[in-house]
Amino acid sequence: MNDVRVAAHQVRFEQKAYWRNPMAAVFTFAFPIVFLIVVGTTAGSSEVPGTTLRYDQYVVVAMLTFGLISACYTNLAMSICTRRETGVLKRMRGTPIAIGSYVGGLVGSVLIVVTILTVIVVAMGMAFYHLHFPYHPAAVVVTLLVGIVTFSSLGLAVTILVPNADAAPAIVNGIYLPVVFISGVFYPLAQGSVLARIAAWFPVFHMIRALVVAFEPGPGTGFRGHDLGVMLVWAAAGLWVTARRFRWEPRRPT
Amino acid sequence: MPPVQPVATGPDVAISVRGLTKSYGDFAALRGIDLEVRRGEVLALLGPNGAGKTTAVEILEGYRARDGGEVTVLGFDPARRDRALRARVGIVLQECAVDPYLTVTEALDQRALLYDDPRPVDDVVGLVGLGEKATSRVKVLSGGQQRRLDLGLALVGNPELIFLDEPTTGFDPSARREAWDVVRDLCAEGRTVVLTTHYMDEAQALADSVVVLAGGRVVASGTPDTLGGRDHGVSTVRFALPAGVALADLPLPTGSGAVVRGGFVEFASAEPTGVLHELTRWALERGEGLVGLTVLRPSLEDVYLSLTGAVDGTGVDGSGVDGTGVDGPGTGAR
Repeated sequence: MNDVRVAAHQVRFEQKAYWRNPMAAVFTFAFPIVFLIVVGTTAGSSEVPGTTLRYDQYVVVAMLTFGLISACYTNLAMSICTRRETGVLKRMRGTPIAIGSYVGGLVGSVLIVVTILTVIVVAMGMAFYHLHFPYHPAAVVVTLLVGIVTFSSLGLAVTILVPNADAAPAIVNGIYLPVVFISGVFYPLAQGSVLARIAAWFPVFHMIRALVVAFEPGPGTGFRGHDLGVMLVWAAAGLWVTARRFRWEPRRPT
Repeated sequence: MPPVQPVATGPDVAISVRGLTKSYGDFAALRGIDLEVRRGEVLALLGPNGAGKTTAVEILEGYRARDGGEVTVLGFDPARRDRALRARVGIVLQECAVDPYLTVTEALDQRALLYDDPRPVDDVVGLVGLGEKATSRVKVLSGGQQRRLDLGLALVGNPELIFLDEPTTGFDPSARREAWDVVRDLCAEGRTVVLTTHYMDEAQALADSVVVLAGGRVVASGTPDTLGGRDHGVSTVRFALPAGVALADLPLPTGSGAVVRGGFVEFASAEPTGVLHELTRWALERGEGLVGLTVLRPSLEDVYLSLTGAVDGTGVDGSGVDGTGVDGPGTGAR
């Protein structure tokens, strides 16, 4: 048995299941696209302070972040909670599959979703809002990869807090929506504001900032080491907690 | 039927358990269980809810760590969760644990890929009777069909040892018979089966040996026909009281305790042979038949209920005389 081959097959089955479940794709694709259209047609074309991007162009980057978080954190957490509740995880654990192959299948599937999302959102930005093709494409790719690792890790970690599948939407969204709101996903944060200083503790803010820089013209490689570093600290924390406390079965009433 | 795949032979014993204990906090779920399952055997684990069946099975499956005792499954300690062991074991859980958005064939394909020597997926689809649903998504299957897929998923890896946790709960009678046939075929192929069930007729129909758990202990073990002294138990004789005959006219031994209920004479006897001889001779001499004559041993269910203390007072001796247990569907007639 070849673990890598098994992981590749897992990706295939994860993808089939993903595209057949309409709910999962709504927030990842429909919401960013609709938001882009609505905001893009109403927003002024003034520049966002501290960047060279116009507001509507900034929204493209912000919605890419939003969609990525939805694909990695929200969808992963929800599907893990459902699978835990219905016994799919327990059942998987009774087979000879390597845990790495299973997680690899999940993350590989997310990678495909984020790639498609990125192409759609960036193409829309370029077509409708004169967004320039990223000036630092390598930095965009690396930032997206770090984002996938970070928010997938946090998606796995948050399942530890969820007692059963009914509670999953409230807990998963209850943690992430406030963070998304204060992190400048829907409007740029005023630099140095209290909100910006709070948001700087969380990975969403850093993901947007790293992406904005990677999209902008400028000297150097476009990498934001500090922002990526903060995200990776969150990723490591999520993996650490997951490795110690992950539950394969729902909490039983005792 | 797919071609019979011989499974690896080895030492005679598939599962060996000695002094198994497990507690959840203050609650002692298992208080020292011993059991042994030979290769190619079907073991039925019976017991009321909370008796420790699921805890015991989940320790054997490697899902739970034990507190004490020795456990060997196919030569492995299941607590170590060796991959080599997991590759040789098939598990059917109580929940239908399949991604609802995959089709039947896809779910089986996904599972088959994890094993070195899987059964062909098409064969498994036929084996569990889902041929017409092969391309249907799991979420549109009925509850019984999902359970059958569950069974198929446990079989696709060609396991030597199969755990079935209440495998036919929710099945209609014909689906249950089909599932029983599948289990019998598995057994005929030399595979070992451990099943938990609430249905006594299922244990009676399938099991080579039966272990009854209650309160975390083994309260009885044996074959379905000898469990709890069933083979030596008191039989119940029942027949229609002939017209114009009083109970006192019958040639019954004194103290037989015979009663008439609904026009039927009923009494219990430890040695029914002689009594029946007298009765039938009496009837033949009068030129009558004993309409509806039956002689029933206590059913497995009666024995089970008395062992697990769910019957108030009367125990095995009272079984059947109360009527309802004896007339139940078939369990006592074997």
